[in-house]
Amino acid sequence: MASMEIKDVRKSFGTVEVVHGVSVSISDGEFVVLVGPSGCGKSTLLRMIAGLEEISGGEISIDGTVVNQLRPKDRDIAMVFQNYALYPHMNVAKNMGFSLKLRGERKEVIDQKVKEAAAILGLTPYLDRFPRQLSGGQRQRVAMGRSIVRNPRVFLFDEPLSNLDAKLRVQMRTEIKDLHLRLKTTIIYVTHDQIEAMTMADKIVVLRDGVVEQIGRPLDLYDTPANIFVAGFIGSPSMNILQGEIVETPAGPAFGLTPEVSLPLPAVAADLKAGRKVHYGIRPEHFVLSDSGLRAEVVLTEPTGSETQVFMRVGDHDLLGVFRERVAAARGDTIGVTFQPNTMHLFDSESGKRL
Amino acid sequence: MKPSLIGRLFLFVGVVVLIFVCMFPFLWMALSSIKPVGELYRVPPSWLPEHATLANFWNVLFESNIPRYFLNSTVISLGSTGVALLLAIFASYGLARFRFRGKGLAQAFILLGQLLPTAAIIVPLFVTLRILGLVNSYLGLILVYTIITLPLSVWMLTSYFRAIPVELEEAAIIDGATRLGILFRITLPLSAPGLVAIVVYAFVTTWNEFLFALVLAQDYRVKTLPIGIAEFTTEFNTDWGSVMAASLIMTVPIAVLFMAMQKMFVGGLTAGAVKG
Repeated sequence: MASMEIKDVRKSFGTVEVVHGVSVSISDGEFVVLVGPSGCGKSTLLRMIAGLEEISGGEISIDGTVVNQLRPKDRDIAMVFQNYALYPHMNVAKNMGFSLKLRGERKEVIDQKVKEAAAILGLTPYLDRFPRQLSGGQRQRVAMGRSIVRNPRVFLFDEPLSNLDAKLRVQMRTEIKDLHLRLKTTIIYVTHDQIEAMTMADKIVVLRDGVVEQIGRPLDLYDTPANIFVAGFIGSPSMNILQGEIVETPAGPAFGLTPEVSLPLPAVAADLKAGRKVHYGIRPEHFVLSDSGLRAEVVLTEPTGSETQVFMRVGDHDLLGVFRERVAAARGDTIGVTFQPNTMHLFDSESGKRL
Repeated sequence: MKPSLIGRLFLFVGVVVLIFVCMFPFLWMALSSIKPVGELYRVPPSWLPEHATLANFWNVLFESNIPRYFLNSTVISLGSTGVALLLAIFASYGLARFRFRGKGLAQAFILLGQLLPTAAIIVPLFVTLRILGLVNSYLGLILVYTIITLPLSVWMLTSYFRAIPVELEEAAIIDGATRLGILFRITLPLSAPGLVAIVVYAFVTTWNEFLFALVLAQDYRVKTLPIGIAEFTTEFNTDWGSVMAASLIMTVPIAVLFMAMQKMFVGGLTAGAVKG
């Protein structure tokens, strides 16, 4: 368990800078998720924390000690890799005990710690098996067991669930979160899946192109995304983001959806000038069916059983709505939708930032 | 789907022919070694020996230098194989995993070493060994044989090391292993087929080598088996019976080596280590 301070960290490969001044504060015992699209630098950042990559600029400190120059084994961290990286010529027990053996621990101590870790992960019946004899989920658990046995200050996970099928992924997600609650160790977790981020994290760091877009608690990122990218990235299905400008109406400034229809603005936008280019965001799940609402033409309905996804069209804009009730509309029909005034988001078109 | 009966018949016949063609020299050698010398000269040749005899073996084992040459060959081949293996392991790991200045040049030079024709370098090598006082010595021949087997060994082992997933080594680094520890605990155990290939290649090459031994070994203390067999050809005739018997004796260790190692040529050791 340890706190970590990442200060203005940069990484260059030759002349190409891929991580541009990332700063994150991590408290003891926090579950921090680094999330972002492919190529955003999250894995590179994790590897710099682990010590597998040189840090080109800035510093990383664990519990107050700067670790830039320390070798991985001296940083007291453990890492779970995306494709498990189990030693194929060793059985599960030896895989898990390897780091302790390198440290020179006595055989009884190693056996004891391996047994404990195996019990936590349900691996006790598999201790004599070899990696090639295990299923994907079991291999991933062995990889986690290898890390647990070391009792490190920080756990690092590099997209550990990406190679598992959907059902196993959901199961392992819960197991990892449960493990965190039990061990209370600081965890840094990299994923490109925002659902994993939302369900597991205490704090999410959204990265794009080597830059931090936003840091915050999952629900904070959901409720108040700082810019257009985060708004569209967090939440599934993605937020509807409409381009347009402020128009003057008798009731005050509003968002011009079509020449005939305008949508209300949030309170903070009360003094925006007409003509200003803005992006208007509304989440699919915040739409409500209403006879007196906006008239939208139905393009496609996708009932999933628990909810109905409706692709709609208003003027030039394509919208997606998600409704809990069954929507009995066919292609070409018109339905009425509305939404709560405090569920909309407004962003400046030029900077992308939240208004 | 099973091939038709005719197909299988053709296959069977083809395999038998192939085996016969490959094994014939060895079989002829074995049969000839127990024939008396007179019978060897017979035309048309006799296939099975009419008067089987062990005289040739007696001659080879007790009245020639072959036993001593066998010892020399064993020492020199094992020695050079061992040295080549050791050097190749370290060189290949460096070439496979590290980036450093001059790496491309180093690899080019190693490849160049493989391309050198024996006849071109034999005189310079002789002079060098003479200066070092290593002509007609075990060490001299071991060093020379290391030179001729090292380039291909390094090349083979480098590609074998590269095939091992880097994540395994990274996991070991995080577990606390040093580079040397990784080499011996992770990389080498997983490269067993590659190591076996090098050992077999180096041993067989040095065991059969003739030209360097001819030039650099000058008396019975260092001469190797190929030279010994050539010595059965004297000024006026060749004792073919002894040649056959000695050749059979010379082939035995190689046959044993291959039969012992053949299982190790199988890959698949890294199955299950990483996904996909």
